[in-house]
Amino acid sequence: MTSATPSPKSPEVSEKSKKYDRQLRLWGDHGQYKLESSHVCLINANATGTEILKSLVLPGCGRFTIIDSKEVTEEDVGNNFFLELSHVGQNRGECAKTLLCEMNLDVSGEAVIDDLEEHLSVHKNSKFFDRFSVVIASELSDKTLKLLSRTLWEKPGKSIPLIYCHCIGFIGWIRVQLKEHTVIESHPDSVIDDLRLDRPFPEMVEYFDSISLSSREDIVKTPWLIVFHRILEQYVKSHLLREDSMNCVNKENPHHLNTQQKRAFKEYLEKELRTMGLHEGDDVFAESMKAVNTALTPTTIPWQVQEILNDKKVTDPENSQFWIMCAALKAFISENNGLLPVRGVLPDMTAESAKYIGLQNVYRDKAKRDAEDVYNRCQSIMEESGNSPITLKPEDVRLFCKESCNLKLIRGQPIFEELETCPSSIVNEIAQNQESPNPDCMFYVMMRAALRYYSEFNFYPGASDPEQDITEFKACVSRLLAEWNCNVNGNADYIQEICRYGGSEIPSVAAFVGGCVAQEAIKIITGQYTPLNNTLIYNAVDCSTTSFNLPTD
Amino acid sequence: MEFEITAGVGGRILRLVMEVEGAQGTGTLDSGEFCSRDSNSNSKRWNHMRKILERPSPFTYHTFNPSYEYLTALQEYVRVLVVGAGGLGCELLKNLVLLGFRNVDIIDMDTIDISNLNRQFLFRPDDVGKSKAHCAAAFVNKRVEGANVIAHHCKIQDKDVDFYKQFHVVVCGLDSITARKWLNSLIVTLDVSEEDEKIPFVDGGTEGFKGNVRVIRTPETPCVECNLDLYPPQINFPMCTLASTPRLPEHCIEYVRLLLWEREKPFGETPIDGDCPQHISWIYEKAQERAAQFRIDGITYRLTQGVVKNIIPAVASTNAVIAAACSTEVLKLVTGCSRFMDNFMLFNDLDGIYTFTYSAERKKNCLACDRGEARQLFFSKNVTVQEVYNYLVESKDIQMKSPGIQGYNKEGVLKNLYMKNITTEENLKKSLHVDFEIPDGGEIQVADPTFAVAVSFKITYE
Amino acid sequence: MKQQKKDGEAVTTSTSSQKKSSPAQLRIMKDLNELNLPKTCSTDFPDPDDLLNFKLVISPDEGFYRNGRFVFNFRVGANYPHEPPKVKCETQVYHPNIDLEGNVCLNILREDWKPVLTINSIVYGLQYLFLEPNPEDPLNKEAADVLQSNRRLFETNVSKAMRGGYVGSVYFERCLK
Repeated sequence: MTSATPSPKSPEVSEKSKKYDRQLRLWGDHGQYKLESSHVCLINANATGTEILKSLVLPGCGRFTIIDSKEVTEEDVGNNFFLELSHVGQNRGECAKTLLCEMNLDVSGEAVIDDLEEHLSVHKNSKFFDRFSVVIASELSDKTLKLLSRTLWEKPGKSIPLIYCHCIGFIGWIRVQLKEHTVIESHPDSVIDDLRLDRPFPEMVEYFDSISLSSREDIVKTPWLIVFHRILEQYVKSHLLREDSMNCVNKENPHHLNTQQKRAFKEYLEKELRTMGLHEGDDVFAESMKAVNTALTPTTIPWQVQEILNDKKVTDPENSQFWIMCAALKAFISENNGLLPVRGVLPDMTAESAKYIGLQNVYRDKAKRDAEDVYNRCQSIMEESGNSPITLKPEDVRLFCKESCNLKLIRGQPIFEELETCPSSIVNEIAQNQESPNPDCMFYVMMRAALRYYSEFNFYPGASDPEQDITEFKACVSRLLAEWNCNVNGNADYIQEICRYGGSEIPSVAAFVGGCVAQEAIKIITGQYTPLNNTLIYNAVDCSTTSFNLPTD
Repeated sequence: MEFEITAGVGGRILRLVMEVEGAQGTGTLDSGEFCSRDSNSNSKRWNHMRKILERPSPFTYHTFNPSYEYLTALQEYVRVLVVGAGGLGCELLKNLVLLGFRNVDIIDMDTIDISNLNRQFLFRPDDVGKSKAHCAAAFVNKRVEGANVIAHHCKIQDKDVDFYKQFHVVVCGLDSITARKWLNSLIVTLDVSEEDEKIPFVDGGTEGFKGNVRVIRTPETPCVECNLDLYPPQINFPMCTLASTPRLPEHCIEYVRLLLWEREKPFGETPIDGDCPQHISWIYEKAQERAAQFRIDGITYRLTQGVVKNIIPAVASTNAVIAAACSTEVLKLVTGCSRFMDNFMLFNDLDGIYTFTYSAERKKNCLACDRGEARQLFFSKNVTVQEVYNYLVESKDIQMKSPGIQGYNKEGVLKNLYMKNITTEENLKKSLHVDFEIPDGGEIQVADPTFAVAVSFKITYE
Repeated sequence: MKQQKKDGEAVTTSTSSQKKSSPAQLRIMKDLNELNLPKTCSTDFPDPDDLLNFKLVISPDEGFYRNGRFVFNFRVGANYPHEPPKVKCETQVYHPNIDLEGNVCLNILREDWKPVLTINSIVYGLQYLFLEPNPEDPLNKEAADVLQSNRRLFETNVSKAMRGGYVGSVYFERCLK
């Protein structure tokens, strides 16, 4: 958590910090600030739509606008917690807005009654959508979705993120459209510690060598990393770098051990530790032995980060903070033996306080110097490009450097393209098992067919008479599959199931999809955590989900 | 028409015994027919659910027989218990009444705190300090016409077996592993049918952007206790680290909480109250002093509070997702309108959206759901009571909190080996075999707050 | 701890001749293990292996009975928790709800007992009796009458009894801490 401001005495905790405490621990005050500055647009306040807004209003998004021209029906009241029977006949967006806003007085909401299609045609070249951080839509027709997707994707200047979602019966469909999205704080579940045993920097070696390991007394008070390093260096010298060594050595990187060498080193390590008078009961012993698998991982640049550094935007960062920092990072790497800045974060190691803190400071100081270097490079890039409107603070660059091994970039694919071409990721997967295809792939096909069916008939298959609609729906599915050159045999059950649903929105399915979509919106707004790229099918029959990247992987 | 609770192959499925003409589902109900069955002017309200409940499908549980009567049963007959009125509980309540359930009971001993408001959407700032169960019930009853939510503002342990037996399904959204284990141990042993079937039980849990859902249908599926190793035990720092070699800001905070508070008694005999700003401030300042002494940085007020209260991050969206999946399973368990989740789902949306659903397996000699032989524990012949105690607390698949231990000696006399405040601390150093004469193959009984009843183990020396 | 193998894997060999605990024993064990005594109370187990018979000592720190020390004897029967334990006060006390034989009038020890209640519930009930003696439902009618008509006199009588002495014609043993 990088957020809280240090203060000598106990700080006053604001009501807001208390209210949002449990989420501030996830995305910090800076993430919260972005959320509170955001403006979300929801198209259609159906059950899924209001569930999404619920999970955005509660954590305190700044404002929201609902676009909905429909009147509240009794069916709406049945599956939507933010509508009441007394609302029947009134505008749905307006009614939902009032009950949603009740939950959090920090959030302001508005409802726009106009028809969306008019908006899209009238405002096509206007700035209507510009104010939104993200647009979320549910239950659109094929045609409208295409139009909306294209309008937001092709916005001159900056494209606006779009999330489309749709629930029919036990099936939910989420589609995220992001033209370009970058993440600095991706908060991965687990990170490999940046220890640099294979690529030590001079200050590190100096400190490591200054620590005396002559007595058992000394050693048990020393962090395992220092003891481990000492033994590793001995091993490399005595076993790997010897001319007559049978162990074929990577002379460039003698520390990069293969599995066999690792096993041999582990034996050597244990022997040496015992020679030092240590045994299983000593923390240093146990922690060193446990570290063999992870501590020997070569220091490299993850491929996702490499891909970002090779992106065309690095050479032409325009006015983007992120890309300017990437350009600086690339320059730093090329002049620093191909290494990322030191992260400066160490795991806890059982040891005497002073020795551990001293070790930690060696890494931290190096991280600080690396970040300063990158910061200076950022400054010169901005100076070169003339009067850049961007301002970069040193702490921004420090965070960027600290997270440089976890950077994420999404260059997505537009929905309108998916709706116009063959979704080959799905089709290929179905082709692999035509007799009993993956249910989640089949449900994707069904959702697409239902959307098309709706465009043709203006109601969903089975809306009133499933048996009558089943023939037409079957034909619709066949036409779609034929367009994609996709052969599949076992689809009768899926067709029947979709006709059973009759376009109904089950409240608990809407709630699942609503929660997911809200979280994707929060990721997009805060720029933290990695959004879905780009399709999710939720299958509540089996309680499973599958993600796809469409139309092509 | 009658309702009957029958023990189906997998759980207590509500089966309908049709006596009314034409009540059999036909699968062809047009919207006209939807309305004509019910003179109630709100009948269209339930059209979404009626499509699901009145039409056949290839994916249902085998007892499902499409009919209008399912909705009537949900409304008139079925009783659901929601355990916990927190982040999951609020969501569960909303989902269940929208799915057509009317008679829902909710139990929670907690009162509302300001930090609940970012996700527990049935509560408002004015409700702070009031009962969660009562506020949640009142809100839903007001918002959704026909809802009959009954609140119980008490501990789950305050209700007896007869209370729990009234429900057709129990759904649980608790944040405490102790309470979850206790409830599980009760539900999976309640006899409610001639067969060996128990009340079906759905359990949800969340932590930040992660969550899990499980469907428990004893004896078909494993219970919470069977897969206890999936719930990581709380990590405690070693005392010697706190006392002499702190390295992390957390070590400094724990030092103040566990050692300095007792020594300095800043507020007399008052124990630490994590919600009292004066207490947290004192700990924060003392932790800062200690950190400065060891040149450790990173102590913040937020971190202090997090460590002292063992705060688990929470956000509205994850609660919504997990409670939604739980609610769908409750609907399925009661009606059979779709096959059940089998039987464990993990959810995580840190990187994209990821779920993993799999069929977890029952554990032989499970301490809660297997009534066969007592589980065996293996110890060396000179094992002490303390070592047995530690094993019961530290073992990943037992995770007790404060066990009391009795055992039969070789004469068959019941000896009290250890019980806090009753036996002396001296007992802990004594040997099971020599001092208490517990024979090889002998039985010990253990009482613990994580179990509704005492549990037996068989001791084997090796 | 290395000596422990994974449990649950070995086939358990049945020795069903083993003596089994009664439901009452199992239940009282659970109650006592989770006993959470207020700081004015303590328990005493003459035989720590026998959880069915024990004593509870209450030393109120406020109210009429402040500084007194009262001993209750608990006998838990075989039908516990379907029947409440038998509780007798072993200290002679001038109290409207406790008679001179030591019988205690507390609703949850009789008509309002439920199996979901625990020893802890009784402890809190008894503690409450000393804070708020209840003249409505008396076992010692004389004391109840005094409490209702003259609280001052009641207070004096209680102190007299606790110091050891006569209240009316009845002699009370000293029971101050």
